[in-house]
Amino acid sequence: MNPEALSRQIALIEALLFVSKEPVEPGRIMEFLGLDDIEEFEKVLAVMEKDQLLDRPERGLMLKRSGGGLQLVTKPDLHDELKQFFTIKQATKLTIASLETLSIIAYRQPATLTEISLMRGVNSTGPVKNLLQKKLIKITGRKQVPGLPALYATTPEFLVYFGLNNLSELPSLEELTELFEEKEQPSLFK
Amino acid sequence: METEFSGYQVQTEYFEGPLDLLLHLIRKNKMNIIEVRLSQITNEYLAYLEGKRGLNPSRESEFLMTAATLIYIKSRSLLPKPENMDDDSPEKQLIHTLIEYEKIQKISRMLREMEYTELLLWRRLEMNESFANREYELKEVSAFQLAEIFFDIVKKKEYEQFLEIPSKNYSIATKQEELLALLAHSGYLDFSEYISKLDSIEELVVSFFTLLEMVKRHLLIAVQEQLFGTISLYRNEPGKLEN
Repeated sequence: MNPEALSRQIALIEALLFVSKEPVEPGRIMEFLGLDDIEEFEKVLAVMEKDQLLDRPERGLMLKRSGGGLQLVTKPDLHDELKQFFTIKQATKLTIASLETLSIIAYRQPATLTEISLMRGVNSTGPVKNLLQKKLIKITGRKQVPGLPALYATTPEFLVYFGLNNLSELPSLEELTELFEEKEQPSLFK
Repeated sequence: METEFSGYQVQTEYFEGPLDLLLHLIRKNKMNIIEVRLSQITNEYLAYLEGKRGLNPSRESEFLMTAATLIYIKSRSLLPKPENMDDDSPEKQLIHTLIEYEKIQKISRMLREMEYTELLLWRRLEMNESFANREYELKEVSAFQLAEIFFDIVKKKEYEQFLEIPSKNYSIATKQEELLALLAHSGYLDFSEYISKLDSIEELVVSFFTLLEMVKRHLLIAVQEQLFGTISLYRNEPGKLEN
């Protein structure tokens, strides 16, 4: 690709990502740019990321792949100052109850409220409502058992919220155990 | 989330539910979760329950229920029964639940870390902000807010000088037609602007009740785009509320 065409494509990608509120699927951008080779597209993205965004300390944005798409986001080290500018006291984090509920739904989906409550050992109506309201989970159907309880599953917003492209990016339970064991081991010998 | 440091636990000692407390006791006593004898930590569990220290107060009944299970398990262990640990013994069941719950805690911890990294990145439509705003789009909330603005305006009207004009009869039915006609014309209605234009308290009250009634019957949607912002009223078209 000649340098002019490349610059043009990078400019277009940046512009359309700037305007979009949600992650944009790479396929849509490729179609728009008339590219059909994913590798070629990746090369364009790599140039854009390296030469113009990530490696340039004077740029405040970076390219982020989550929720199955591309998005322009601010660089993490700007967070504190941005918070001051927009006078946001604290980022609203999920409660432990919500996180536990979300863990069960993410790994066992679809799950019913009864299953969630049993696994957590406490009634989980509150966190389920809260997560529905935040659109991190949705009702996908009804379980064919007496009472026809609602079945809950995660949403695309869940993926974006946790910076995932798809559910398979969540580590398996085995990997998770290793992940935490490595961290916990040294403390045992203290 | 607590770790096995007992010094660290002091400040974070808060238990979401009975399973959380049990896992904490198992770790504290350096027991292996698979070989744990629940009867041994029953007393400690009961001591926590008595002191109510760090227990989620809205979960009292669930803490008590687990206490009952623990006492039952302990009483069983006192009886000379060779096949004490058969597959569906309450002890086996509880341990199984605990093992599963430990995984949930691990996943939660991982999600928390992921959440933390993601919260450092700001997006076009800031996720946190949209979370906060979304609550004000709820109909129940806007009804209160409608009321608040209504009383504000009534108060303002009280200080105004009125020319006494012969009272006209307002009814909800005619008011509704009038509002629908207005909406058909301009697409939406600014609530405060509309209501402050009305001349008499009587008309104000009738208009307000008509609006509430229409919101309740899903003929209208009340949307407030930001906190303390004006409330806009739209005709309710299917699908509009989704976004």
